[in-house]
Amino acid sequence: MKLRNKSLILIAFLTITGFISCTKVLDVNPQQSIDASKALENDQDVNSLVVGAYSVMGGGSLYGTNLLMIPDLLGSDGVCTWRGTFQSPRQIANKTMLRDNADANLTWTEAYRAINLANIVLENLDIVKDEDLKTQLEGEALFIRGILHFELIRLYALPYGATAGNTHPGVVIKTKATKNEANAFEVLPRNNVQEVYTQVLADLTAAVDLLPEENGVRATKYTALAFLSRVYLQQGNYEAARDAANEVIESGYFKMNASITAVFDNKNTAESVWEIQQNEQNNAGTSNNGMATFYASLPGIGRADVRISTGYPSNYPVGDLRRSEWYYFGTGARPGNLYCGKWKSFSQNLPIVRLAEMYLTRAECNVRLSTSVGASPGEDLEMVRNSVRTNSTASSDPTLNEILNERFIELAFEGQRIHDLRRLRRSTGAFAWNSDRLVFPIPQREVDATSGVLVQNPGY
Amino acid sequence: MRKLLGITMFLVSLVVQVQAQTKEVTGKITDETGVAIANASVTIKGSSKGTATKTDGTFSLNVPENTKSVVVSAVGFEEKEVLLTGSPLTITLKAAEGKRLEEVIVTGYGSKIKREITSSISKVSSREFSNLPLPSFEQALQGRASGVFINSGSGKLGQGLNIRVRGISSISANQQPFVVIDGVPVVSQSLGSNTEPDNPLATINPDDIESIEVLKDAASAAIYGSRASNGVLLITTKSGKMGRTKVNAGIFTGWSNPTRKGQFLNATQYRKLFTAAAENAGWDPEEEFAFETGTDDWNSTNDVNWADQAFQKGYVRQYNASLTGGDLRTKFLVSASYNDQKGIILANRLTRGTFRLNIDHSLNSTFKFGTNIALNQSDNYAVPSDNAFSNPLQLNAIPPLHPLRDENGLYNQATLYYNNLIEREGNNLTLNKTYRSISNAYAEVNFNKNLRFRSQVGIDWNNLQENQFLGRRTLDGAPDGYSYSNQVTAYVFTNTNTLSFNKTYGLNHSVDGLAGIEYQKGQTSGASVTGLAFPNDKFTKIASAAIISAGSSSETGFRFMSYFARANYKYKDRYLLGVSYRVDGSSRFGADNRYGSFPAASVGWIISEEDFLKNSKTLSFLKLRSSYGITGNAEIGNFGARSLYQAAAYANISGMVTTQIGDEKLKWENTKQFDIGLDFGLFNNRISGEIDYFEKNTKNLLLNVPTPAINGYTAITKNVGDMINRGFEFVVNANVLNGKFRWNTSFNISTYVNKVTRLIAPVSPSSRTLGRLAVGAPFGQFYGKKYMGVDPDNGDALYMGADGKPTNDYAAAVDTVVGNPNPDFYGGWNNRFSYKSFDLDIQCQFVKGGDLYNIAGFFQSVNGDYFDNQTVDQMNYWTEDNRNTNIPQPRLYEGNGAGKSSRWVQDGSYFRIKSVNFGYNFPKKMLAPMKIESARVYISGTNLFTFTKYTGYDPEVNTQYVSNVNLGHDFYTPPQARTIAIGINIGL
Repeated sequence: MKLRNKSLILIAFLTITGFISCTKVLDVNPQQSIDASKALENDQDVNSLVVGAYSVMGGGSLYGTNLLMIPDLLGSDGVCTWRGTFQSPRQIANKTMLRDNADANLTWTEAYRAINLANIVLENLDIVKDEDLKTQLEGEALFIRGILHFELIRLYALPYGATAGNTHPGVVIKTKATKNEANAFEVLPRNNVQEVYTQVLADLTAAVDLLPEENGVRATKYTALAFLSRVYLQQGNYEAARDAANEVIESGYFKMNASITAVFDNKNTAESVWEIQQNEQNNAGTSNNGMATFYASLPGIGRADVRISTGYPSNYPVGDLRRSEWYYFGTGARPGNLYCGKWKSFSQNLPIVRLAEMYLTRAECNVRLSTSVGASPGEDLEMVRNSVRTNSTASSDPTLNEILNERFIELAFEGQRIHDLRRLRRSTGAFAWNSDRLVFPIPQREVDATSGVLVQNPGY
Repeated sequence: MRKLLGITMFLVSLVVQVQAQTKEVTGKITDETGVAIANASVTIKGSSKGTATKTDGTFSLNVPENTKSVVVSAVGFEEKEVLLTGSPLTITLKAAEGKRLEEVIVTGYGSKIKREITSSISKVSSREFSNLPLPSFEQALQGRASGVFINSGSGKLGQGLNIRVRGISSISANQQPFVVIDGVPVVSQSLGSNTEPDNPLATINPDDIESIEVLKDAASAAIYGSRASNGVLLITTKSGKMGRTKVNAGIFTGWSNPTRKGQFLNATQYRKLFTAAAENAGWDPEEEFAFETGTDDWNSTNDVNWADQAFQKGYVRQYNASLTGGDLRTKFLVSASYNDQKGIILANRLTRGTFRLNIDHSLNSTFKFGTNIALNQSDNYAVPSDNAFSNPLQLNAIPPLHPLRDENGLYNQATLYYNNLIEREGNNLTLNKTYRSISNAYAEVNFNKNLRFRSQVGIDWNNLQENQFLGRRTLDGAPDGYSYSNQVTAYVFTNTNTLSFNKTYGLNHSVDGLAGIEYQKGQTSGASVTGLAFPNDKFTKIASAAIISAGSSSETGFRFMSYFARANYKYKDRYLLGVSYRVDGSSRFGADNRYGSFPAASVGWIISEEDFLKNSKTLSFLKLRSSYGITGNAEIGNFGARSLYQAAAYANISGMVTTQIGDEKLKWENTKQFDIGLDFGLFNNRISGEIDYFEKNTKNLLLNVPTPAINGYTAITKNVGDMINRGFEFVVNANVLNGKFRWNTSFNISTYVNKVTRLIAPVSPSSRTLGRLAVGAPFGQFYGKKYMGVDPDNGDALYMGADGKPTNDYAAAVDTVVGNPNPDFYGGWNNRFSYKSFDLDIQCQFVKGGDLYNIAGFFQSVNGDYFDNQTVDQMNYWTEDNRNTNIPQPRLYEGNGAGKSSRWVQDGSYFRIKSVNFGYNFPKKMLAPMKIESARVYISGTNLFTFTKYTGYDPEVNTQYVSNVNLGHDFYTPPQARTIAIGINIGL
């Protein structure tokens, strides 16, 4: 072989090996997403992840629809009926849920998705340099983890108090982040109800200490306290519930609106302790999800799937503005029937905790405990029902039942009904407070995916 | 004279012998047109000593003094024995026409003569599909390439086709073959935003293509490694030829009609059926019609054939010209074409303008350079998705009682369903423009006659611009107009470097080999914007929109780094061995599985070279071959292996969430394929053929494995499914008549049996479809309730109950297997006749089995359950006087027979005369004075006749708005066009 040819071969192989030396050649990074290894690198990244958790909570499977609508469908007897074509809410309203109920599946899945985001935040706090931000983010993550475990335990397990010691199966306590494939396949059994409540209280109590008093539209110390009052109330711990509600009221950050519609029609009003933010582009949905989607019957808005029972408004006193403002005869889909006026716009914010609830909780507990922490029950009731706000008057010395009744009508169709019925050990229709039929199934896919380690609820 | 010559020769040889014992013979070898043949072998008869010609066709060989003749052979030419009657010799070889065994077959990174091929490759050459109005070149393979099942899906121009090589080899990854044009892997998957795939290959000019090779088995395809499980299409474009510059020009024009139109009820029938339906259910037909349609057209005198409104008279026009020529050092081809097809479906039109320049230049005997440059542009006036109310075929649902136009002469808006003819008014437009260049450049270094280095860079650059405007009277444009604009640019860059080697050792051993390295980078980016509210319908661009309602940009990409090698060994011209090995690294694969290896081996035995067959008069050629190897499917998405975060907005605040947890071991889907085949030739190869059996064992299919949702994720994509495809392929070619009247025929038939062997969970049919995936069942098996006709006593629809007996309770009926959309067998039969100056090509195509499910049956063949117009067969509905029928009693709104069932499953077998081309070649004598070398006029017909029992529009159907599990589903899917064209080709 001639020398020239040898040199040519050399050139050729140099060309080839030139490529081999580019060892990074196969590293292509996605542009529309970020690889997990690069996602969390600074304060801003961790903060974004917390915002992401709020966006998941605002989705239709959580506070965007289901956590507000499902408790009222479960407690729908004599209150409302499901008229839509979707099978899953129909089953819930009829208490004939199947193991593969779509909403039981989605709410479970999305709640744990948000819990995982919270856990990722908690395990990556070291990245956050700004100490104040770090404290705030830790508080928010614990708050999110706490309230979602609380929502889950209320839907997927027999109620608190159903067994002595609450040793009946609850939900899975998830406090560890999923970082890799092996984590994603990890299987945990259900904790019992007591353990879950203990965890919820631990998370929320810690959140109260960590969260700032003001935090824009995100959770504050008082949001955590408001949820704490709900948890205590659910447990029948009236003293603690009262004190938590009292602290929210006494904070001075909140004030009852003069108008009963303002809290729904406007965003972030004084009465609102915490609400889910929505706008035209980002909301729970306009066709298959969203509170207005299911509740409204207005031209171009709503499927009119939740019909309010004709007699329901008579629970309000005659002349009470809530009777006329919160209920209307539909003019859109399925017109002419009665619909709830709290949910009329796809882009409205969704109040999750209102100051009215805090007054009613404090009043109830004060009555039960014969105390008047913060104010007398009559004064608290007056804050909710008065001539300006509701065009009706409240008893100055209300009985427990009067307060409870006020609670039902004030918070109607805001996702409280079945939880209140169950803690009060009252029935809905033919279903007792501790009926298996009021408990969601553990999603069948979840039982399958854990090879049965997650034990199915009775009756499914 | 001859005697004198012999004596002279004798004397000359005597003199030479005395001088040196050997003599030098020189000469030049050319084809019949005078073009030099390079690399032709010249051997001394009865000896292995010989040489090969240089690129200019010349050779020189020292032969023993007593040598009388040499044997000259070259790939693609008939072997010739030449007497040494002096030097230099001028030898002309005849092209080996019809001798398929000597044909050159393009293989991955090389080529080989068919005789020596030990793998399974189908070839279709340009001659077989020139002058046909093909919407896209892949359709040329239909019925011509064994083992390749093509379903055009619909008659929409510019739509993606289903091409399946040897069955179906994937579930969630791509199922289409890998496409390589002149060594450049190209974008063949849809880029558009429509729910139905567009076909990026429709921009390629079929006339530029010299041949299409389909690599079917592992031995041929494994050199493409992780891209080859679905087979590989190798497209080779035409190249320049040495010799006088030739001009070819062609023009054709034709007219199209639908192969079949649907038969729907006329006004009288409609009133009769719906009167019965309403009355049987206790309604008043007029009131109900008024209530549902909002019109009082029930008593109108209208009788509109809405179904026919979906169609228009189509046309096809093509103008093309090419220039080829060259000399010893430079060869070139320049071609340009313009093709304009107006579809048979309203508004459908596809135009294609193409330009090509292919140049090869030899600097000297060592260096060679070349480039292929293609620039294509196409405009696709697209048809909406089958499932859209704007699909013209959905017009057939409108009752004949509604008028076509309103009192103002505009298309009537007051119809039961959207009158999408409104979209044919004014400025409404859906136009997808594609600009594309598939080009490459190469350099070759021939170190010596045995060793060659080649480096090639190739680019496929594809820009799609989608534009849509819908005015205020349209469904989606209301109330104030809608405009959408989307741009997608996909490009693939490939650099390939190969070193190839071939050498013959002694008499018996011949070796060739190849080693290479390839780098590929692909990127797709896009941006789209939607505008609403225009001052009036005269403004159509988003610049005039009051509301910019949506906008987005996107980008994704991938890279491959590959190393490959191949070696072939031939012993005694009869024992063949081939091995290949490729390593593919890809950014798509998980960090733990970045590189995959794909080996293959094949053996061949040319039995007819053995002594016991060598003298057989009947069996002129017989080769047994077998191969085994591993290929992969890397079309698994670009980032499936990654754990990802994505932006998520919370009202006005921007946040981020986790979206996917990745399996770091995620990799290609893996197919092990075994192939055994027999190639034969009878009667001096007048009859030749191939028989193949294959077994494809695919493992590691991508599936979503459910994870406990408590961990924040519901599934991980992993390689966990398995599937098997088995089948036979049989091809026979015969030169039936060889005299003045010539007849060549070629018949092929193929089968595949697909079976899913492992899944995580079965995939059940959706509420409208029947296709499913289940272990043990073929891909897409039809599964649902079995329709058992009508109860003669009461007109109830009957379904098969759990006990196998008929029941009128739909809910009590059981789900069972009701069909298989995969064909039992399919193939083609091609005939070429010629007599004097006339030639005739007839190509037929057939499919046996392959059940079809008409989803739209639920609306259009449901005995008047709702006011959709019905197919005419529904008039045979049950009445007390017509008890023995398959059509249940009409009962408006009551769903008698309306449940999803096998009622709308039909046998999709068909036999189609796919194309006929009849031509006349003007005699040279007549042309010579006009300085014309050749001229041919022809008339061609496409889809002339279709024989089928399917009652829908077209048995070659596959609606593409449903998931890929739903093969053979029909949903207002437009039929194919029948096209008659006339044309002329002139050569100068």
